[in-house]
Amino acid sequence: MSTALDLSLRDQAAAIAAGEVDAAELLEASLERIEQRNPAINAVVETFPERSREMLAAAPPGPLHGVPVVVKDEWPLPWRAQRFGAAELMRPTAPGESGPYRALRDAGAVVVGVGNMHELGAGSTGNVSVYGPCRNPWDTERCPGGSSSGPASAVAARLVAGAVGADGLGSVRFPAAYCGLTGLKPTFGRSAMEGHHMAPVTDLIVSGPLCADAADCRLLGSVLYGEELAAGDASGLRIGVVRDPVSEDVTEEVREACEGAIEALREETGGEVREIVLPDLIPATLAAILLINAEGLAGTTPQQFNELHPDLSPLARAVLKYRLLLPAPALVQADRLRTLMRRRLAELFEQVDAIAWPTVPAPAPPLDPAMVELPSGAHGADQANVRGAALANLTGIPSISFPVGLSAEGLPLALQLQAAWGRDELLLDAAEAFERASDRRWVDSKPPLAEAEPTEA
Amino acid sequence: MEASDRSDDFIPAGLASLGVEADETELAMIAAVHGVFWPPIQGLLALDLGDVEPERNPDLSQAPR
Repeated sequence: MSTALDLSLRDQAAAIAAGEVDAAELLEASLERIEQRNPAINAVVETFPERSREMLAAAPPGPLHGVPVVVKDEWPLPWRAQRFGAAELMRPTAPGESGPYRALRDAGAVVVGVGNMHELGAGSTGNVSVYGPCRNPWDTERCPGGSSSGPASAVAARLVAGAVGADGLGSVRFPAAYCGLTGLKPTFGRSAMEGHHMAPVTDLIVSGPLCADAADCRLLGSVLYGEELAAGDASGLRIGVVRDPVSEDVTEEVREACEGAIEALREETGGEVREIVLPDLIPATLAAILLINAEGLAGTTPQQFNELHPDLSPLARAVLKYRLLLPAPALVQADRLRTLMRRRLAELFEQVDAIAWPTVPAPAPPLDPAMVELPSGAHGADQANVRGAALANLTGIPSISFPVGLSAEGLPLALQLQAAWGRDELLLDAAEAFERASDRRWVDSKPPLAEAEPTEA
Repeated sequence: MEASDRSDDFIPAGLASLGVEADETELAMIAAVHGVFWPPIQGLLALDLGDVEPERNPDLSQAPR
């Protein structure tokens, strides 16, 4: 028997609004399901049933009235400071009303739990966290993707139908890809960021929705943006495809799935596919990494690096200290390359509406070691993944990842589309067009964990 | 310049100049991080971007002006 918890985010909201589902029962069912399924995936690191019930009792009418959601451990809540998946953040945090919290509260949503995340947001796998590794519901011995690991794993396991993540170098899109979800990285500045500990200094990080499909991302995204992401028409979509060593360095099944999806999208929209040239993607990736690491130095003093929490992972300690050694000429060069890539993209988006390439070059790797085997050899998943995602953060453009297939091992495969600044809605339209073209086969696929005995609601 | 030849000096000396301590294990880990970052940093530094006029206070929510 299907339950309200297994409905889409929009259908949960509609059913509550229509009086067909009791929001209090839905909240209790979500809490119960977290108890049942979460031990296998460690997606939700904290629940606060009384706070959630209070939030529901005070929930105003709104587009998400009574709908339970999970929020990444990157956003403060009035009763809980974010921990950023780490033993320490190197900057003070406190409970408070973050922008995403306010947006959710004002939309009537109920925060039912906090989602796990990769330590310090510094990984694409989700297998390192102060709370222990998060796991992928499609295969609990594999990475869920990061850094928004818990939000993605929670939605994939249908603990909730929507979750809020954050994306600084792909951290919404990687877990969306690994967990078979749709994840939207908004145009910089469009979605709520207040209260994030990096908000005053970052040019790269944004909040973003993780949901099963594009329509749910549109709904949750509209809440986070504070404006309706109106549905439009992706007819005549001009899709740009880059052929370079990075975009070609993917597994055969990723290549086939993404090429098939691009062709299906072209056919569905009556559009066209053009090969485009976008040089310097590898240095642009590094530029984004350097800039976000430099942002991380803001407000710190060298003395703090002598007092790092002993429970930080050895790699986190090393990266934090290495930040101090980044050469200034490289940061200057990174800034110039950002300008160049922004200008190149502005010209490209005169010729095409969206740029398509695989979100990640291989499906979810094992938790340990998180390595992927590509045509160029074996790589750490972080190094392989970031090449496909950092451009959007470096330049500010929006990007979306959506599922386009399953690997031979039954793991999700994903395509990423990127569009010009402010064309977030077009990305949702395009993702919906692909859903139509594929008869919703991939967005309606569920991992084995989500097919387990349902909780009554 | 072979970065790895100098990294044994560069890393502890750089940290020490800032008054930051690191034990042998940390230094080894930082050296590993350096080994990953340094080749692409050299590639970035080698790019000829002299003709690129940087945006002043770029608004990343919009296309460049």
